[in-house]
Amino acid sequence: MSWEDWLKGRKWRRELGNRVAPEVIRRPSGSKDRRLRKLFNGERGLPFTPTEKL
Amino acid sequence: MNTAQIGEAVADISAERDPALKMLKLASLCSALGRERGIELVVVGGSAIELLTDGAYVSGDLDLCLANPPTIPLRLRQEIMGELSAVGGPRSWQVAGMFVDLLGSLETLARTPLRRVAGPYGMVQLAQPEELLVERVLVSVYPQPFPPARDCARKLAAVALGGALEFDWKELRRLAAEPQYRILNECKALVRDVANELKTQSPLDSDG
Repeated sequence: MSWEDWLKGRKWRRELGNRVAPEVIRRPSGSKDRRLRKLFNGERGLPFTPTEKL
Repeated sequence: MNTAQIGEAVADISAERDPALKMLKLASLCSALGRERGIELVVVGGSAIELLTDGAYVSGDLDLCLANPPTIPLRLRQEIMGELSAVGGPRSWQVAGMFVDLLGSLETLARTPLRRVAGPYGMVQLAQPEELLVERVLVSVYPQPFPPARDCARKLAAVALGGALEFDWKELRRLAAEPQYRILNECKALVRDVANELKTQSPLDSDG
């Protein structure tokens, strides 16, 4: 898949998933929490881009 | 890639605030630097699922495995990651504002090809979505029900059913029935549920 096609397909993929599960499904905790929360100001990663902005 | 190109790429990735884009860019850069040395990397697990679904699932780490060769010397790992100004090792590094974990040799039963995305710095290889779905379904029910894995499996199934992902349902059926997984009935149930919600037919409920 080309880079352009991957970018173009992001919103479609996200919307399909959102029809069957919550928009954000990041695990609330995990084995790597300590290092993740230290790097991401208490979170486990960067915030996700909202679907409408993909 | 020369030092200046690598520096520009690391700066671009460091500035990226979208988790999936950041991960794909970093996977692309790591893959390019590995490939220059004859090393083929594969994005696996939740990282691969994120890139295949944009499912808002992944945390701030990128999981990679070695497709070829099956192992690389520790010194070489550190040299490659050193080019990215990475910190840490020998299996996990902090680089460009996230973590990269090199989990070892790729373990796969899938017969379908690795999926490929042409990233901005080089081709990225992703674990086969058929096996990723079987794995997630297994983790979602054993050793006990695990809702985060179930949501992840449902999103992957939805993207596949919706046609946004090249997916071989016969291969999924074969893998799920393998003794190493024995999860076919659970896969059928999950895909049927998702198909119903998408108002379509489950490919696992038809013959063949």
